[in-house]
Amino acid sequence: MFDATIKAETLKDVVTVVSTLVDEVKFNISKKGITLKAVDPAHVAMVNLQLHSDAFESLKATECELGIDIDKIKDVLKLAHTDDLVTLHHDEERNRLVVGIGNVTRRMSLVDTTGMSDPQVPNLALPAHVTLAAADLNRGIRASESVSDHIVLVGGTDHFELSSEGDTDSVDLRLEKDQLVEIDCKEPVRSLFSLDYFANMIKSIGAAETVSIHLGTNFPVMIRFSIAGGKGEVTYLLAPRIEND
Amino acid sequence: MAGIAPGDLVGAPLQMSTSLVPTFPPLDPSALEGVEPGMCVPCKGTKLLCGKERCPLVVRYAAAQQTSLLLEGLELQGSSPTAVFVGRMGYPKVFLGPLVAAQSGDTSLLDTPERWIGRSIDEIVAFRSQLVRGMHRVDALDVEGGGALVQRVRELALARRSADVEVAFHKRPVGRLVFDDEVQPTGPTAPLRGLEVGTLRIDRRVERAHLDTDLGAAPALVGLYRSGLELSALQRMFSVGAFGDGRRRRFVPTRWSITAVDSTVGEHLRERVKQLPAIDQWRIHEIVALDNRWQVVLMPSSWRYELVEAWYPNTAWNPLGREVEIISDHEFYEGRTTYASIGGCYYAARLAVCEHLLSQGRQAGAFILRETHPGYLMPVGVWNVREHVRAALRTQPKTFDRLEGVMEHLGSRLDIPLARWTRTSALLADARYQRRLDDFL
Repeated sequence: MFDATIKAETLKDVVTVVSTLVDEVKFNISKKGITLKAVDPAHVAMVNLQLHSDAFESLKATECELGIDIDKIKDVLKLAHTDDLVTLHHDEERNRLVVGIGNVTRRMSLVDTTGMSDPQVPNLALPAHVTLAAADLNRGIRASESVSDHIVLVGGTDHFELSSEGDTDSVDLRLEKDQLVEIDCKEPVRSLFSLDYFANMIKSIGAAETVSIHLGTNFPVMIRFSIAGGKGEVTYLLAPRIEND
Repeated sequence: MAGIAPGDLVGAPLQMSTSLVPTFPPLDPSALEGVEPGMCVPCKGTKLLCGKERCPLVVRYAAAQQTSLLLEGLELQGSSPTAVFVGRMGYPKVFLGPLVAAQSGDTSLLDTPERWIGRSIDEIVAFRSQLVRGMHRVDALDVEGGGALVQRVRELALARRSADVEVAFHKRPVGRLVFDDEVQPTGPTAPLRGLEVGTLRIDRRVERAHLDTDLGAAPALVGLYRSGLELSALQRMFSVGAFGDGRRRRFVPTRWSITAVDSTVGEHLRERVKQLPAIDQWRIHEIVALDNRWQVVLMPSSWRYELVEAWYPNTAWNPLGREVEIISDHEFYEGRTTYASIGGCYYAARLAVCEHLLSQGRQAGAFILRETHPGYLMPVGVWNVREHVRAALRTQPKTFDRLEGVMEHLGSRLDIPLARWTRTSALLADARYQRRLDDFL
């Protein structure tokens, strides 16, 4: 059983986060809320999202899995204003999701979840950790986009750096300890990433939020931030590129 | 039919010079003044990037034509493969007309590139130079107008196998073989005065799609493709505005029609491929034909695709360069939103790859390395790409567990160093440099 009311804005956050990587996803539903785990088709990036029960206006649920076509949710959310409430109901008999916004009711077919196995999550021990304003990171990404298609993330003992090198031009964003919310980095670390993936992940964070980054050397980066005003968490993982020989 | 009465016709035989492959006149350097080396590979005579009014290379190919059609009088009794040609110059006022050979019997081979694998350039040129093209000016946006003549051309395009035809021209057919990167070579032309067509056999399914003015063009093409029609037939039918929403039908210039069909059918197949489980090994299929070396590499990944072309100096589109020119286009899982800069061959090869993957029931990434050597003197049309990739994929692949083995093998089969290919190929670079989360499990 799944019967919920949620702010359109909160659902929009979820959709934005998930749609950077996949078109279809399996919602794992329980009375504690929604969790989901998905890996992109190329197996380069992964998202893990939790939305707690208090992120809902109301939630009545028993454990179940719903295969959701993200584009359909996106589509119906276009009808909603920021303050609107959205009702979600699982019609078990006909296996579809009934979405209500105001007086509009959209009934959408669900995706078969039998082929959607839970992705395996790498068990990573990442030595460095920084927390910073998402807006700072966004600025560095925007500067890099015209220069190259990949970026380097560097953690020093007292600073964090995002840089990008093209054939002729280069970009650096350097943030000292006092410009960061938090830094815990015993030894210098450095990894290279696809800018495209990284940019899409960072852009899905609300502008006013802070983001926490876990980093190693030639290891995946883990990006964590909260959604729904702290009533949900997102963790992205992104595999590195190896430096060109 | 106005103009031709039985007995009026003089079906004179064609006479051809002994060598069919043109020997091109030496390249006049002054004609290529202002043309930068490397400019021609992405242009291929279509965009006129050099700023000249006509492509100097195309003019050279045209000038080289050595076949001559000796047709006494203005009439021709013969057979059409059944082929039609829709020009693109002056769009939407374009020339439409049948292609007719001055012989009787089954001429379908002349316009069915699917059956040209293994043929030499000489033979292909011979096929095409036998076809006389009648030209009749139509408004591409008005498929219903144009009268009985246009209607007969359309019926001809819809028919299967070849048909007996009688054509009358306003002038004696003149002209030379024209070479194009997308369209197979075309022969002499003349303004069309009349057309009489013998008994036509139209496939029931084709007729149904043609008469259904509520059926969109894409579903019509996909449906007919899946029922087994050849692509060259669909491309011919699509060019005469045979399918689609009744209000939106139009004549489509042949070169656009070829790519429209490759792209539409290919996209449909690609979406089905995306539902399939991925292969678990690297596979390399190879073919060498018309002095092109093709390496078709299937990788164990989700759908992604790239075509990389390397043109040696002195090949069709790299006449001046002292260096090899390499260009490529690619798509990742989500596909492309812009037209591929390398043109119709991108879509033709993509279709061939998707066909193969579907037949195997497998998903894969694919990149194709095409090395064009100096024996490929002139463009013969985009069928060359589609049919040779199809042929390559029919061969037994070499399989590899690791990228290193793939690289080593490719290095031994191609002349251009791998470092050059990697610099251009987005998929090869991704495979070499981008790690997967699975590597960290």
